[in-house]
Formats: sequence, structure tokens, C-alpha cells
Amino acid sequence: MLTHQDVGLSASEDQEIVQLLGRRPNELELGLFGALWSEHCSYKSSKNLLAQLPHQGQFVVQGPGGNAGVVQLSADWDIAFKIESHNHPSFVEPLQGAATGVGGILRDIVAMGARPIAIADILKFGVNEQAPALLHGVVEGIGAYGNAIGIPNVTGSLGFSAVYDANPLVNVLAVGMRRHGLQVGADGARPGSVLILIGQGTGRDGIHGASLLASRDFGAETEEMRPTVQVGDPFMGKLLMEATLAVVGKGFADAVQDLGAAGLTSSTAELAYASSVGLIVDVSKVICREQNMSPYEIMLSETQERMLLSVPKQNLASVLEVLAWYELPYAEIGRVVAGDFLRIEAGDQVLAELPTSVLVGSCPRLPVMHDVRIWDAGQPSVLEKIGLQSRWGYQVLGHPDCRNRSSVYQRYDSMIGTRTVWGPEHDVAVMHIGNGKPGLCIAVAAPARWAAYDSYAGGIGAVVAALSLVAAQGAVPLGLTDGINAGNPAKFEPYRKMADLIRGIGKAAEIFEVPVTGGNVSLHNETEGQAIWPTAAIGVVARHPNPEHPIADAPPDAGVRILALNPPANPDLGGSVLAEILGRSDRYPVLDLRAIQHSLRFLVEIIPQAETVGLLGCRAVGIGGLFFAVAKSLMTKTPMALGANLVLAGDADARFVFNEMAGQWVLFVDPEFQSFWDHVSETHGVSVVDIGWVTGSPEVVITAGRSLTWPLIDLWRAYRKGGVRDVR
Amino acid sequence: MNNDLSVGIVIFPGSNCDNDTIAAIFALGAKPVVLDYRLRSLPVLDRVILPGGFSYGDYLRSGALAAAAPIMDAVEKAAANGLPVLGICNGFQILCERGLLPGALLPNPSGKFICQWQTVRVANESPLFTGLHQGRILRLPIAHHEGSYRTAQGQLADLFDRGQVFLQYSDPEGQSHGLTNPNGSVANIAGVQNRNVVGLMPHPERAMATYLGSRDGADLLASWLGMGENAVC
Repeated sequence: MLTHQDVGLSASEDQEIVQLLGRRPNELELGLFGALWSEHCSYKSSKNLLAQLPHQGQFVVQGPGGNAGVVQLSADWDIAFKIESHNHPSFVEPLQGAATGVGGILRDIVAMGARPIAIADILKFGVNEQAPALLHGVVEGIGAYGNAIGIPNVTGSLGFSAVYDANPLVNVLAVGMRRHGLQVGADGARPGSVLILIGQGTGRDGIHGASLLASRDFGAETEEMRPTVQVGDPFMGKLLMEATLAVVGKGFADAVQDLGAAGLTSSTAELAYASSVGLIVDVSKVICREQNMSPYEIMLSETQERMLLSVPKQNLASVLEVLAWYELPYAEIGRVVAGDFLRIEAGDQVLAELPTSVLVGSCPRLPVMHDVRIWDAGQPSVLEKIGLQSRWGYQVLGHPDCRNRSSVYQRYDSMIGTRTVWGPEHDVAVMHIGNGKPGLCIAVAAPARWAAYDSYAGGIGAVVAALSLVAAQGAVPLGLTDGINAGNPAKFEPYRKMADLIRGIGKAAEIFEVPVTGGNVSLHNETEGQAIWPTAAIGVVARHPNPEHPIADAPPDAGVRILALNPPANPDLGGSVLAEILGRSDRYPVLDLRAIQHSLRFLVEIIPQAETVGLLGCRAVGIGGLFFAVAKSLMTKTPMALGANLVLAGDADARFVFNEMAGQWVLFVDPEFQSFWDHVSETHGVSVVDIGWVTGSPEVVITAGRSLTWPLIDLWRAYRKGGVRDVR
Repeated sequence: MNNDLSVGIVIFPGSNCDNDTIAAIFALGAKPVVLDYRLRSLPVLDRVILPGGFSYGDYLRSGALAAAAPIMDAVEKAAANGLPVLGICNGFQILCERGLLPGALLPNPSGKFICQWQTVRVANESPLFTGLHQGRILRLPIAHHEGSYRTAQGQLADLFDRGQVFLQYSDPEGQSHGLTNPNGSVANIAGVQNRNVVGLMPHPERAMATYLGSRDGADLLASWLGMGENAVC
């Protein structure tokens, strides 16, 4: 006899179910509850927190709740986008875990009727002996799926810390485009329609993936969880994508839902609930690729590359024609009726019948705990003056969080689709859509260290970092997606850190008026009591004013002035790479969001007319600080023939060049326009400081009291191969 | 411009550079004609392209299953009758698997997929590429897991003797050596030809505009279409 523990439910949840149903569920029904009431499917611990995020905005077409958020890019095009995590499976089986993560988020985009045009990966790994092998497997898996299905991987974020040793993070952002006005989702099913399951035959893979793998902490038995990881088939994924897009593009289906976590259970229940209809599903009709699968196994299998379509009868023949063209396996597995229930049958035998209002709508949610935010004891911020040391330049550039990423992104096809104007060799992606203007700018940010000791500040910082990146292109942000990764929500501290992280994201999104249109929460990233840093992976899509001519992120020639836009008045090393190198655990500083807001608006206004004010280049300052931003600008030039001479105020020190206070930028400006920039503070209300000029000698020279020189070739070596690591 | 020039583009299940190739041919002013892999005969065409991608998921070996697809009998017959056939990336692999081109494409020695910009040098002038002179340097993307071109023992000298080596990986100055070889291909070979059949690993259809990083691909395809180097794009 199956018990509530077997399906991952608590005793109180079990009682709640009995009470709501007025009877005991049978074993199959209990299995359905176990899946849908799992943390992974129900978001029971985070849903009330996520409700605090701003979801509305002038460009929003579809907010949270669907398979992905949708925003309007132009008169012709909408953009569907979302971040998904595949953390637990990727640790258990890196290659397939990561590959199916890519497949899963791409199906979410396709289920919105959008053609995927880009993916981006946000990865966190540990620093132990196992980490390089995990990184290799995950990158291979992301590439194996993305390259084969033919979606370019255009940008990403990669970070390292010991807190991820046993809980690496694999978050993937997918972005798709669809004609403005096309309405596709899981909420349009009408009574009388036929349910068609298309794609891969259902197997025994991934059973209990949602409830028992992704909704629990890791422990000694994790090794045994490998069979719960699914196996990806990008070839089938490609056929499924093309067939689904052909069906929805012609308006043949009234509802579409991909099969992800908890497979047929969640897709049928969620489609029924979203559409306010009843569904009758006959499991004996499901095409299985293994013998003698029980209804329980069929309903809970997480076999990949499957999609559920609800098709009005008059369109059935047309749909079957499309499926036959793509030689895609399919089966009519049920029908849509009036009502609010999910009934599972096998032939003429009824196996389960549950009201979707209970199954989907009644999962008990954890109430929000309202309290002041907490932070770890940490040290007070570094307030004392720290003189610059030349070795820090090499150490920061050689730090795993800053180092050159080409060995990763060259394993991804970044150019397929011929929309990629700027790919992963830049800090942001710029994509060409349709006939030129406007284009799409995509950025991701996941500055986890910033949230290590104060996740509220870190949440704000993550949003500012992402918005700063697209602002450096003068792009208008349309929407945000958030991937929340945290520890065990049943424990006080991980829960509170997650809550603070989400509040921080909400605060920044609200101030900058950029809505969060969807995302993902991955909890239980915890092994033997050790939780990860609460980690926000933020993705932003923005309207690019001129995608055929992105403003440069490097200076064109010697003689160009280097300005700092919105440098902090009180630079603080909290949360920075240098602070870690120095062995400090300072809290991330409080940012001046109003000043940042002015700067963001200024860039969006000024960059489309950059030529008229002599603005030649712009780069956001992020991890590694201003030093890294300037050095990267110089190192990306081929050949490396330019240098920088920075002359800082007498009291400026290491804090000025290595702080990671998001919302500041390096600008490269034509000296002929000096007078505009000298007065920009008065005319535009932003703070701009002249910090030096570009030289024809490939080295970085900083003069603040005394002078220090970093030959560019040495910085390049540290950036390519890692710096002096003995101090870490 | 030649609106009458019709170019067949074969789509196998799993092809994924088909749309990019169609767009490139269209941009050059020729008429792309989509050819389903199930066809057993070809319509009247001036050229045929086997585009890149992961036909049949690269299962078994890259290109091995597509080489046996129904349309390939017709392609082989048409090639024998002189129809110019161009295979790009996976298309190159398919042509080698089919035996229409010499050699084979092995997994990259790194064991890893590689996607990057690459310069290649035109090793031999070809009647198939009018106006594309020997020594011309082209900047094109490569993106493949199995791009290491190899020949049977003793075959390499023949390839060079007969002028069948079309493109070689090189540095921006045109020098071909170990450091400019991204995938361990023998003699840095990036493309070969066999009479009217050509295969290349780089993706010209992705290098059609300066804002994409290069428009050398437009030059290469225009020359293959007989439109010279200065085709309006």
C-alpha cells in the first residue's frame, strides 16, 4: 500500500487531501497529488513570496502563470522568455540533466506558440575536484541539445564557489519570438476538443523526478537517484518543435501544454485548471516504449520531448496531416469536457477522478513570514583606505568568476539562425529580428556572492546588474525573468534568505518599473545541511534601438577619454571578488537606486544619438569592478594595441577600481565633445567623472598618489589562464 | 541578379541550417526550392544545396543516415549528370558518407563541439566558383563536432594533384599551419570538390552581412551561383 511518504507528501498534507476530497485517495490519485503538491510543481513555499513581485507593465502581453512570460517587442513581434533550472538532475547526471533542462525550457517557449531564437545559460559550480568534470558534462549537455536542435546560445553567466560543490546550479534562459497578436497557451481548451499527445513514446524515465529528486535535499542516497533523471533526444525535440509551431501557427489547436516535471499528470491537470474544463484521459491509449507500464508509471513518467495538444474536432484531420509530415508519433489520449475534474481511465475502467480545483488549486502554501531582513554576522564593510596593489589586478582577472569564458561558449553554436549580431564574446547579446529595427538585447546576471551575506541587497544588485548590461546598449528593458535557487525552505535560515532575495528583486523591479513576467524557483539546493548561497539568476529582454550597429564596448583609438558614469560616492568592496581574495566576508553595499535610475534613463536616451555627443563606447561595471571593465574593453581588441591611463583623485584607492556596486558604467568619449560631458551632470542629472584616457601603449596605468602599471599581455595571461591563485 | 536561377535546398529531418540557407539564397536573388528528403526525383533545378544541421540527430554517424535517404539517389544521379551540388557542414558529411566526395569527417580531436570565426583560404581556383581567386581569404563561421577531415592513405597527394582541395583553414594572412587548424583536419582542409560536387565545413550562409561579422559568405555563394564576386545582396 502506497503511503503519503512514498510520494513525498507530509502527514498534514495527506490529511488536507482527505478533508478536501471527503474520502481517501486511491494509490494513483495519491501519486497525482504527490507530484502536483511537490515543491517543484506547486511552488508552495515560494508562491506567496513571488506574488510580491511586480507583474504588470506597458509591454506585458502575458505575465506569470503560463508556460513563459510574453512581452511586446515591436508592432510585429512578441518575445516569449523564461528561465528554468535543472540543478538536481545535473548534479546526478550532468550531461543528460543539463541537456533535458535545455529541452524543457525550449518546449515551454514553443508551448507559447513562439519560435525559440536564443538560449543563455547561467551556471554555478563548486571548486572541489569534482567541479571540472561536472562543468564539462553540463556544458557538453547544453551544447548537445542546443546545437542539435539549432538554437544559438548567445550569452551566459558562470560562477564558482565552494557552496556549490555538492549543489551546482544549471539555469537556462530561453527566448522565442511570435507574431504579435497570436494567442497560444494552456488556457484555451474548450469542451468537445480532442487531446493529442505527440512526440516520444512514454517510458519509465524520470518517475518521481519532480517529487523525490527536485523537491528534496541531497544526501547519501543521491547516487541512487540517477534513474529519476530523464534522457534527452534533441532530434525528436526538433521534430516536436517544428510540428507544434506548424500546428499553432495555423491556429489548429485551442490549447498547448508541454510535458515537463510530473509529465502527463501536471500537463493534463494544469491544462484543465487553466482552461476551466474537465479532461478525460485514457492511459491505455498512451504510446509507451516499455512493456507493461502501469497507469501510475504512465501518469508520472517524465519522458522528454512530448507535448499535449487540445484540438477542436474540425481541425483534427489537419493536425494529423502535420504530424504525419513530421513523422511524429502521436495518440489521441482523451477529450475535453465541461466540468472541473481530471478523470483517468483505462479502457472502460475509471482509475481516478479528482477535482482540479483541489489537485491544482488547493495545495497549501507557506504563508509569508513578515520580518525584518536578516544577514549573516559578516564583517563590517571595509571602510578603511586600502592602497592599490598590482597583484590584485591579476588575481581579479584570473579569478574563476572573471576569467575568459571562450572555452565554454565555443562549445555552443552561437550563430545559427543568423540573428546573432553580438554573441557570447560580449557582455550582452544583440539580436537582429526581422527587418532591422528594433532588435533584441538579452542579458543575464547571477552575482551570487553579492547575496552571500545579505540576500536582499544581493537581489537588488542582481536586477541592477542585468539592467545595467542592456542599458549599456541603450536598450529599453521589456521584462525580467528570475531563476531563484535556494536551500531547504522548511528551515528558517534558507527560507528567510530566499524571502529576502525575492524581496530585493521585487524592490528593484518596482523602482525601475520593469515587470517580472515569469521565472522559476529551485529549492532544496542543500546537501547534508549545507545550503548554497541564495542565488538569483536574472534574465532581461530589451528593445535594441539599432541592432545592426551596436554601440561599441571598447574604445576605437588612442586619445579617447574614459569617463565613469555614476561611480559610487562611497565605494565599498562588499561582495566583490577582491573582498573574497582578501579573505573578507563583507555585506554587499546598499545601492543608490534613484541615481541608478537616472543613469539608466540617461543611457537609453543618449545611446541612440551617441554620435551627436561623441559617445564612442560603453560598458557596464559588474563583477571584477571598474578595473575589469576597462581591462576587458582593451583586451577584446585585436590586436591588443591600446592601453588606458587612469588618473584618479588623490584619495581614490583599491575600493574605487574594484568595488562591484552595480549601476555604474565606463564610457569612451571623443575628446572633441568634452564640453558636453563636462556639463552632463547639470544638463542630465547624472554623475560623470573623467578618469583618464586611452593610450597607444598596451598597458593599464593607474595613478592615484603613486603609479602602477599592468602590461596588457600579463593581464591577458591571467584572464586566459587564471591568475596567481596562492592567495585564495 | 538572376531570378530564374533555382536552387534546391534539401531538408532532412533534423536539418537546422535550412532556413538560414534559404534566406541566403533568396537574398542573393536566386530562387530557393525546398526539397523534402522523401522525394525520389528532383524538379528542374540549376543547383542543389545540402544544408547544415543534425540530420537524423547525427545518430550512428554524422550524415550516415541522411546519405541513405530517398532523395539521395536522385541527387547522386543529378550530380552524375553535371548538376552542381554544394554540401555545407552536415551536407559535406552527407556527401562524404554517400561517396560523392572523397574522405571522411571525424570527430574533432578535442572531443568538443567548436563554434568560432575562422579564416579560410581558397586553395584552388574552381570553375564552380567564378571570380573566386586562388589565395582569396574568407572569414566564415565554423560550428561542428565532427569536422576533422581525413583521407585514406595515399589519397591526399591525389587530392592536391587534381586540384580538389578547395578551402584550407588559415590565418588572416592566408598561412595554413597547425596553429590555424581548428579541428585536426589533414592539411587544414576545410572544403573539397569532386567535379561539380563541393563540400565545406564553414557556414557561408551565416556570413551574409557585415553586422553578422562578415559578408564573405555572400561572396562565396554568389560566386557559386555564377553571379561573380560583386553580386548585389
